[in-house]
Amino acid sequence: MRQFFILLRKELRSFFLSPLAYVIIALFTFLNGWLFSSIVTAMRLRVNQHSLVYNLFDSGWFWMGYFFLFPLLTMRLFAEEKKMGTLETLFTAPVRSAQVVMAKYFATAILYIVIMLPIFAFFFLFQDITGELAAFQSGSFYGAAAILMLVGLFNIAIGCFASSLTSNQLIAAMITFVGVVLHYFLGFIHFFGAKLPTELLDKVTYFSTVEHRRLFTEGLVDTRPIVYYLSSAIVMLFLTHQILERRRWKA
Amino acid sequence: MISVRNLTKRYAGHTAVDDISFEVDRGEIVGFLGPNGAGKSTTMRILTCFLSATRGTASVGGFDVFKDSIEVRKRIGYMPENVPLYDDMRVKEYLHFRAQLKGLRGRSARHATGEAMDTCSLQEVRRKMIGTLSKGYRQRVGLADALVNKPDLLILDEPTNGLDPNQIRQVRELIKRLGERHTILISTHILSEVEMTATRVIIIDKGQIKASDTPQNLIRRLHSSGTVHLEVKAAPGQVIEKIESLADVKTAIHISSAQDWASIDIHPCSNVDIREQLFALSREQNWPLRELYRDTASLEDAFVNITGS
Ligand SMILES: Nc1ncnc2c1ncn2[C@@H]1O[C@H](COP(=O)(O)OP(=O)(O)OP(=O)(O)O)[C@@H](O)[C@H]1O
Ligand SMILES: [Mg+2]
Repeated sequence: MRQFFILLRKELRSFFLSPLAYVIIALFTFLNGWLFSSIVTAMRLRVNQHSLVYNLFDSGWFWMGYFFLFPLLTMRLFAEEKKMGTLETLFTAPVRSAQVVMAKYFATAILYIVIMLPIFAFFFLFQDITGELAAFQSGSFYGAAAILMLVGLFNIAIGCFASSLTSNQLIAAMITFVGVVLHYFLGFIHFFGAKLPTELLDKVTYFSTVEHRRLFTEGLVDTRPIVYYLSSAIVMLFLTHQILERRRWKA
Repeated sequence: MISVRNLTKRYAGHTAVDDISFEVDRGEIVGFLGPNGAGKSTTMRILTCFLSATRGTASVGGFDVFKDSIEVRKRIGYMPENVPLYDDMRVKEYLHFRAQLKGLRGRSARHATGEAMDTCSLQEVRRKMIGTLSKGYRQRVGLADALVNKPDLLILDEPTNGLDPNQIRQVRELIKRLGERHTILISTHILSEVEMTATRVIIIDKGQIKASDTPQNLIRRLHSSGTVHLEVKAAPGQVIEKIESLADVKTAIHISSAQDWASIDIHPCSNVDIREQLFALSREQNWPLRELYRDTASLEDAFVNITGS
């Protein structure tokens, strides 16, 4: 556990001392701020039955930016250490691979939270300034925050895994992007294959981020998606661990 | 300290280490020699638990590298080839991080960091970013990292690779000093280094151990020819005649003359040392003598002899 915190601190430090983190934070905040203001404008022009929170997270633009976030956050995690050779000094120190994986994972999750905070700040600012409600009930806020956290935790795990596969950051980034986007669009199978048997469609909604997000941003928090994202993240992290341990397997 | 038995490492279709066995006792400084691609780094990576072996076993301090890898890693300070470091960290910060990672806490971690920086003369660069350091300093940071928790065993993969002669000398002195406290396994291409520091040399070629002995014994085994070079101020013909009349001399050959100095190679009958006789002869003949030395085989000769094709 001590090793975990030492590694976590080192990861956080190298995140927050690198310009990349600030570029990502600035860019993402700027894009979302711009999106936020256009949605507010749109809602003023045309009456809409949904809340501001719902509309923002229903926007394809938001998700576009969101998909790019994960490759950027995770590509260097293991790929860089492999390329630099520091994986060798790291894993010949008395640390367990699981501690390394968890430290990198949680450091990224913390950075992810920091990146997401401004969006919620926008909502509070909006409410403060206009006196209008951004969401119809406070559950929507928590729901939106929860679903973003869950999807984020899962996507970061995908990125961790991709980064452990290669020493090339670009390849890691591409694998992460494809993984994240593919998973998201699984939820859209409804639209493409309306002729699918209904039992299958029911199964699909089980891992449809779109569906989960609709429910959560209405304040309808369900335990199944929570279990789904967390367990999927754990599976990805376990696979990452296995990839890293592979070099020590008996052939 | 180290015990390796029938160790084999196969990479896809290619055998890097082929059934090697050796022991290293506590307190030894063992030089690991071999041409490029001999399997030195691979063996070291197995010993440091970074790679698994295809077959065979290895243990450090009685702990199996595969089953008790954490215990093994606690006892090893390892400096990999090419010294991988985090370029975005400062020297002191990095060493402190490594000390903590190796299990030192609070004050003792800080103390160990300071001590390692003293040992490796890193104090003047302790606030520098590792990425901006010169090669020599990087190497020393790697070394400081390896010894920061005072491990029983140091495994150093080409620690002087790429350094200038002054720095090579400094690092060599450092290794010698470290040898007083640690067991050391060191791989290198620089033979004089091993000759000076190692108590034993293991020569490995194409994944197999070709020799394991003290540097002196390896050299002796080569049977140096015992040829002696002599330079005297006298007529070459006369000198050769007198020398060849000595009982232990097989032949004497006049190599060259410069001004009045004759330079002569003398081959003795057997591997006897005839320098004393030659000195006595030149004194007796009143030949001014300015050079007298015997060819000695070097570790380099032994290395070439053992690994050359
Ligand atoms: N990851 C790998 N995959 C495939 N082959 C490898 C790998 N690592 C090393 N080898 C091969 O194993 C052999 C031994 O390599 P090793 O690095 O142990 O040699 P070395 O003795 O350290 O050489 P050098 O003096 O050049 O450092 C070489 O032929 C090398 O090409
Ligand atoms: Mg090597």
